[in-house]
Amino acid sequence: MSQLVTGAGAVVSVGEGVDEVFSALCAGTSGLGELRGFAPDRYRGRHAYEIDDRPGPGADVPGRATAWLLRAVGEAARQAGLGEDLSGVPVLVGTGLRELRSAELAWRDGTAFDTRARLHFGTALRERFGAVRTHTFAGACSASLYALALGSDLLATGAEDTVIVAGVDTVTESMYGLLDRVNAEPPDRVRPFDRERRGVLMGDGAAAVVLRREESGARSGALGRLRAVSMNCDARHVTAPDAQGIVRAVYEAQQRAGVTPGDIDLVLLHGTGTQLNDSAEATAIAEVFGPEVTTPLMTAIKSMTGHTSGSSGLVSLIVALKSLASGRIPPTLGLIDPLPEAAAFRFVREPSPADVAGLRFAQIDAFGFGGVNAVAIVERAGT
Amino acid sequence: MSASGTAVVSGVGLALPGADTPDALLRGAHAPGRAPEPFDTGARIGRRGHRYKDRATQLALCAALDALRDAALVAPTDGTDGESLTVPGDTIGVVASSNLGNLDTACLTAAAITEGSARSLSPMSLPNASSNVIASWVAIRHGLRGPNLMLCNGPTSGLDAVHWAATLVAAGRVRRALVVGVETRNAVVADLLARPADDLLDGAAALVIEGARWADERGARAAAVLGPYERRAGLAGCVRALLPEGGERPGVWFTPERYEEPTADTADTAAPVPPHVPRHDVTAAFGRASGALGVLQCAAAVGWLGTARAGTGTGEALITSGDDTADAVAGLLLRGPDAPLPEVSARSAMSEISAMECT
Repeated sequence: MSQLVTGAGAVVSVGEGVDEVFSALCAGTSGLGELRGFAPDRYRGRHAYEIDDRPGPGADVPGRATAWLLRAVGEAARQAGLGEDLSGVPVLVGTGLRELRSAELAWRDGTAFDTRARLHFGTALRERFGAVRTHTFAGACSASLYALALGSDLLATGAEDTVIVAGVDTVTESMYGLLDRVNAEPPDRVRPFDRERRGVLMGDGAAAVVLRREESGARSGALGRLRAVSMNCDARHVTAPDAQGIVRAVYEAQQRAGVTPGDIDLVLLHGTGTQLNDSAEATAIAEVFGPEVTTPLMTAIKSMTGHTSGSSGLVSLIVALKSLASGRIPPTLGLIDPLPEAAAFRFVREPSPADVAGLRFAQIDAFGFGGVNAVAIVERAGT
Repeated sequence: MSASGTAVVSGVGLALPGADTPDALLRGAHAPGRAPEPFDTGARIGRRGHRYKDRATQLALCAALDALRDAALVAPTDGTDGESLTVPGDTIGVVASSNLGNLDTACLTAAAITEGSARSLSPMSLPNASSNVIASWVAIRHGLRGPNLMLCNGPTSGLDAVHWAATLVAAGRVRRALVVGVETRNAVVADLLARPADDLLDGAAALVIEGARWADERGARAAAVLGPYERRAGLAGCVRALLPEGGERPGVWFTPERYEEPTADTADTAAPVPPHVPRHDVTAAFGRASGALGVLQCAAAVGWLGTARAGTGTGEALITSGDDTADAVAGLLLRGPDAPLPEVSARSAMSEISAMECT
């Protein structure tokens, strides 16, 4: 049984709305900026990939992540023709940090925030869309692809005909500060797979898709087809990735999708710019793809969006669908000298010329703290 | 023999003050000033098991171990004093539920940065800043390599977690999933919730949710069978979806936290469950349970099914979490292992009910 993506929405530092975001990324636009919401003198690093919607420099307000989520879900639902009433549609939200930023502000500064009702996203989704079958999953940086896997299972078991899957995260001061503490040298930008990479910088983001069971004879116009999503857990280390867990996730996704490495035309890598992730991911991809590792084009958009954490997998998936449909592929910005494990990869490094012809299958990677791995395989619409 | 799509509860674990077994969850509130001592996590998992883990994670590890032992999914390893899994680790998923578990790490870290700088932080706090840390540690401790979920879904979160465990099993992702509901109390949580700390749960409960055929295959004992689950707007709507009018009544109702019966002043309608069905609020004895509530209720329902079900109603336990002030109410039916029942498909009884409402 196959499943169609019939609507998509996105908000990240480089733009709002799927078309604007995709154009900006293809043009090599970076959302990197000086820290806007936190006092910069408290950190060694000074940069992040934030959505610039605060009332003023250094002035932070609660509920920003929730607002982006509602806009991304609204965009996706509109495009899919679901309208504003989502009372009958399950909405699954993957997130790394929920509204913890708002809780930080409430605890430290006494900012008004209803922790009981708004740490999770169900209350706002009900107010805005009448949605009641809502589920907030904390799944670190693979959260939105995990949610996609669960949504896909609801369609596959026949429980539902339509689900909305979303991901959202904003930068918390606690996570930004702890990452700043552990980076050997503060990164000035995210440089996935480069030998000179210095670590990760976080970014704001939200993304949503509408997933529908494909009925024969139904109207076309979908963005593309979801073939499969795998999910597993390394069960090895609480922060460090494990190449073997990633290998298992990639194998399982391809097997579920009924494809082999040689079928994959494009890989949206997780690529966080940390020493450990990029090395483990490159090792795993090289192992699974074997001699076919030079076949697919590869890119890592966190070089422009920063690490949008729980939303990042779904942002990459939407970009992959747009790339398959248009033949345009965003570059891995700032990649000059790839690490040895990725030496054979065909990275897209320059803002792309249009019309890379004949793209059909894309793979999207997402891995998170706790060793939670999810890998999706999508297919161009109309094939 | 069970239907192929059925999921059962094949293990229960607790890490609670003064309650070691599911039937102990059926008791009422403590007498004032007689609250039991906090649960001693070191006695269960050893001091070494605590390193760098927050209290919620420690409690979760204790309940998880208890449930895996109860389900015979861990057993002593020959020639050592350790325990190991009796089935492959990739056949077991984890679904944890907690709303408040890492609030203290996030808020205290942000405050410490403001008072000093990020340099003053302990790098060992990093994992605890991520909201899925509890599910991660449970998987790492036991080598559980299946899907690893963490629900942070408000008052319904624990029952939602049980539902997603059953969904993972129904979809064939894993043969069984360990569900852990946990909350703890501290100054940050009490302040942000505006509740007295001694009215908040400090404990965990765990369940093994397993495909009936996989439990049968390894000779595991089912303590309960999962019935339909619903997440609806409002308590009355949720109960109506689970208990069609004219159907049999449940033998017991595990009510939402601090449920109050409608009074002559407040009620336009009657209580959603007939008045003679016994009610039980697990939070009276253990405190407000937030994301742990649904798991705690299921554990209590297993206790009830094992002790008191004879001769009362249908022998089903109705469990509801969340009330009319929440974004939704979740409900679940649990049945005894010997009760005849239809296959619980993912669509459950609802399509039939909807069809009846339409005609």
